[in-house]
Amino acid sequence: MTGGEILLMAVLTGLATWAFRALPTLLMRAEPPPGGLLARFLAATGPAAIATLFVASVVPQLIPVPRDLWPLAAGTLATVAAFLPRRSVIVATLAGALVYGAVFALLSGA
Amino acid sequence: MVMRLRPDAVRAAGPDPVPPAPGFRAGVVAAVPIILGYFPIAVVFGVEASRIGLSVLQAGMLSLVIFAGAAQFLALVLIASGAAPLVAAGTLIAINLRHVLYGPALMKAAGQPERRWAALWSWCLTDEVFAQALATFRTGQRFSESWITGLGLCGYATWVGGTMVGAWAGAGLLTGMPAIEAGLGFLIPALFLALLMSVASRAVLPAVAVAVVATLLGALVFSATGAILSGMIAGAMAGVLIR
Repeated sequence: MTGGEILLMAVLTGLATWAFRALPTLLMRAEPPPGGLLARFLAATGPAAIATLFVASVVPQLIPVPRDLWPLAAGTLATVAAFLPRRSVIVATLAGALVYGAVFALLSGA
Repeated sequence: MVMRLRPDAVRAAGPDPVPPAPGFRAGVVAAVPIILGYFPIAVVFGVEASRIGLSVLQAGMLSLVIFAGAAQFLALVLIASGAAPLVAAGTLIAINLRHVLYGPALMKAAGQPERRWAALWSWCLTDEVFAQALATFRTGQRFSESWITGLGLCGYATWVGGTMVGAWAGAGLLTGMPAIEAGLGFLIPALFLALLMSVASRAVLPAVAVAVVATLLGALVFSATGAILSGMIAGAMAGVLIR
């Protein structure tokens, strides 16, 4: 691609991405009836989306060929263990990455 | 007979006063996990962009104009493979379709607040900003447009800045440091897992379980994008059907 074609691709993608992020918020002005289908759908969307994003972010390590499973298991357990005492997202995130990298280094000799 | 109560007695017996809405600075503080997660990934993106021959300005432009990590990494693959720009844009747009769900879900969690500036702050509603905002509202914090602007702008600035740093440093930045590269690569999964625990409750467990299974099945049957869409939609549908 030329520089102009890369810019065209980026602008088209950026415009559509803005529309996906902004238009539903701008257009949906009324509160859906409590207990209704839409209210329940939206309430479940958040946790379902975050669970999906977590799984999708580790799937490349599992499918099609599993790799670095021990660092993945250790990093996941460390994230959970660090979160539980103080429910701190920052501490849990850093602990998970630290343990993942440490176990990777131990096993690979890096 | 109408009983008259003294104002202070009414205040003492009434509900707790509503806490003030958090401002821009509180949004910046809430963005710390996102900054920690974004910066290294953005640096890696910049390094990869440099590796396929993009300049610092071109790499920075991609982050500035698209601001969507997964789509941007795929954009590098498409650019390197010489894909037609319109075909590449269509592919990247399809990947970002999932963002349609984020705004309404966030407004529902925040109690349908005022959204005068939504056209501006919605630009920053990435996966991570959405998840962080949702987790914060679940703690009882009120919504304000200043707060979410602080949260989103920090993520945006970090993403663009990290990209420029990575592209400037070039392809050799992480060479010889595989353990650090591996640990940095787990920052985003760890962030999602921590955010998931912060919003999890007994009521949403069926939706979470169905989302996990549907994502894995989607990855086996379709593609990464298909996995994400099937996980989100199946999980949300489970929240409707399983009470």
